[in-house]
Amino acid sequence: MNASAPTDSMAGLDSSSQDDGDSTRSDAKRVPALVVEGMSKQFGTDTDGVMAVDDVSVTVDRGSVVGLLGPNGAGKTTLIKCILGIVVPDAGTVEVFGTDIGDGRRAVYANVDAMLEGARNDYWRLTVRENLRYFATISGVDPDSVSTRHDRLLDRLGLTDKAETPVRDLSRGMKQKVSLASVLAGGAELVFLDEPTLGLDVESSRTLRQELRRLAGEDGLTVVLSSHDMSVIEDVCDRVVVMADGQVVADDTVAALVARTDRDIVRITSPSIDDGVLASLREAFDVLGVARDADGTRLEVVAGGDELYDLMAHLRDAGVTLEHVRTVEPDLEDVFVELTDDAGGLGEPAEDGWSP
Amino acid sequence: MVAVTDWEGPETPASTPSDAAAQPEPATTTDGPQPASYYHLTRAVLYREYLIFVRYPANAIGGIVVSLFFFALLFYGGRMVAGQALTDSIEGIIVGYFLWTLSVGAYSSISNDIASEVQWGTLERHITTPFGFAPVALLKGVAKVVRTFLTSAVVLGVMLVVTGTRLQLEPITVVTVAGLAITSVLGLGFAAGGITVLYKQIGNWLNLLQFGFIVLISAPVFDAPWTRFLPLAHGSAMLQRTMVDGVRLWEFGLGELGLLLAVAVGYLLGGYVVFHYATRRARRLGVLGDY
Repeated sequence: MNASAPTDSMAGLDSSSQDDGDSTRSDAKRVPALVVEGMSKQFGTDTDGVMAVDDVSVTVDRGSVVGLLGPNGAGKTTLIKCILGIVVPDAGTVEVFGTDIGDGRRAVYANVDAMLEGARNDYWRLTVRENLRYFATISGVDPDSVSTRHDRLLDRLGLTDKAETPVRDLSRGMKQKVSLASVLAGGAELVFLDEPTLGLDVESSRTLRQELRRLAGEDGLTVVLSSHDMSVIEDVCDRVVVMADGQVVADDTVAALVARTDRDIVRITSPSIDDGVLASLREAFDVLGVARDADGTRLEVVAGGDELYDLMAHLRDAGVTLEHVRTVEPDLEDVFVELTDDAGGLGEPAEDGWSP
Repeated sequence: MVAVTDWEGPETPASTPSDAAAQPEPATTTDGPQPASYYHLTRAVLYREYLIFVRYPANAIGGIVVSLFFFALLFYGGRMVAGQALTDSIEGIIVGYFLWTLSVGAYSSISNDIASEVQWGTLERHITTPFGFAPVALLKGVAKVVRTFLTSAVVLGVMLVVTGTRLQLEPITVVTVAGLAITSVLGLGFAAGGITVLYKQIGNWLNLLQFGFIVLISAPVFDAPWTRFLPLAHGSAMLQRTMVDGVRLWEFGLGELGLLLAVAVGYLLGGYVVFHYATRRARRLGVLGDY
């Protein structure tokens, strides 16, 4: 890593603050890691083109982990590639640690690295350590000066035993870890991870998430992580930027996003809900889903506050025997579906047997 | 800021890699991360090429075997058809074939390398480096040329033994003339690599260009002097005079050497410009790394 960005940002401070080391550091810390303003990218022609990224503005504070969530084709990867300059945007500016990358100052990239979806990102014919050394150099750091850091990185990611093994001989989960390690090898302070857990088994995905949390928490790494896996986002991210159709449709903490949804859902199981009762329920309430099986009928009904009393009264009046009643707390996935209006976009099938 | 203990803090004055390139003086402390200079970049790129060459010799050996197989076809088949005529011109054929294997090696290694890097997603990482892709690409080119010289030297040795031919092999002259001759082909390799990034399906067709090198190597530079401005042609004529007639580097005229250098640099720069604009267009279209 090169501390070029902090140095740049400090250069802009007045002399009084430069006299005070602590305040200088805190001022430098206040410069966001990433500021994206008005980013747009259209693929194809004006008439039949696709607006992949549409006037997106995002700010990422230092040391934070921001999730980029959206259905397939929402523009997450294009946004990341535009920020990195791998895709040339039609409009918009990007500042990394206070420096505009549009100035053609490649040195800014010394603080940035990325792990892109579906790519190897490293050389499979080189060993794990050779990859770390190569990519540290490429990102502007003398590899000999960070060999201790590489040892530590390998240790943390459980790769020490495999350090001298060619990457091609490792399992998929291990390869993904090497990819992450090679991204961190140069000491980038801002890293973009595009679908880092894609294709990993449950255990590997869990380990990778733990490591990401630890790196962000202990090392103050700034991470922008795109995923369409809710659990990854919920586990790792301080904040979520939800994208749909190339636009940002929400930008908040996971807790705030979940809290702002006003849907209180009640799940009812009963052996005695017939079509007539169901029809009357549909008339009076917002019935989200119905499933029938040998045990009876399961319903999901939107009912918060007074509506809950009304629902219970309605069921009692209809002579319905309740076998099971449970309130369903909305989770990130519910919020996501509400925001993007795309229940099928996550690639996850709806719960078996449920129909609206 | 990455806060491992051996990592420099934000208060430490640091220089960017480009600063380091301008001021190669090492930093004062040795216990923190130091900026990489172009020396480190050169070492890293060449070492990677070396590792892959020695660790996976099958590619190099395969290339040598294929080259020798085609030469055997040419030599024994030609002797059956042309008899004495072929034997009389065998020196010229060997020199031409040697230059052709060098050209094919340099061209295909760089264009295939670019295609592989795109597929692996490693090309993007070189584009987002503080050094930029140009120095990395040029260093790769140097490594490919060195590697190609090693394999073609083996092919040359076997050809000389099999045919019982003697050639003038003054190393400095041969390496300089042949090296500059294939530098122009390296430029074509960059251009082809760039075009492949943009139009992936064209890649295989561009490999056919290798057979066009035969025409360039045997271009009639005396009858049609303008062909000297094409890649390989002028260098090929000079290499014939070097290896067959024993002309040394310093015995060539300045004009001849100047033209050799100008053609090499011209096509290399031209090829790199095509590569640069092709990848730039790929970035605009969003197809770079569209694997």
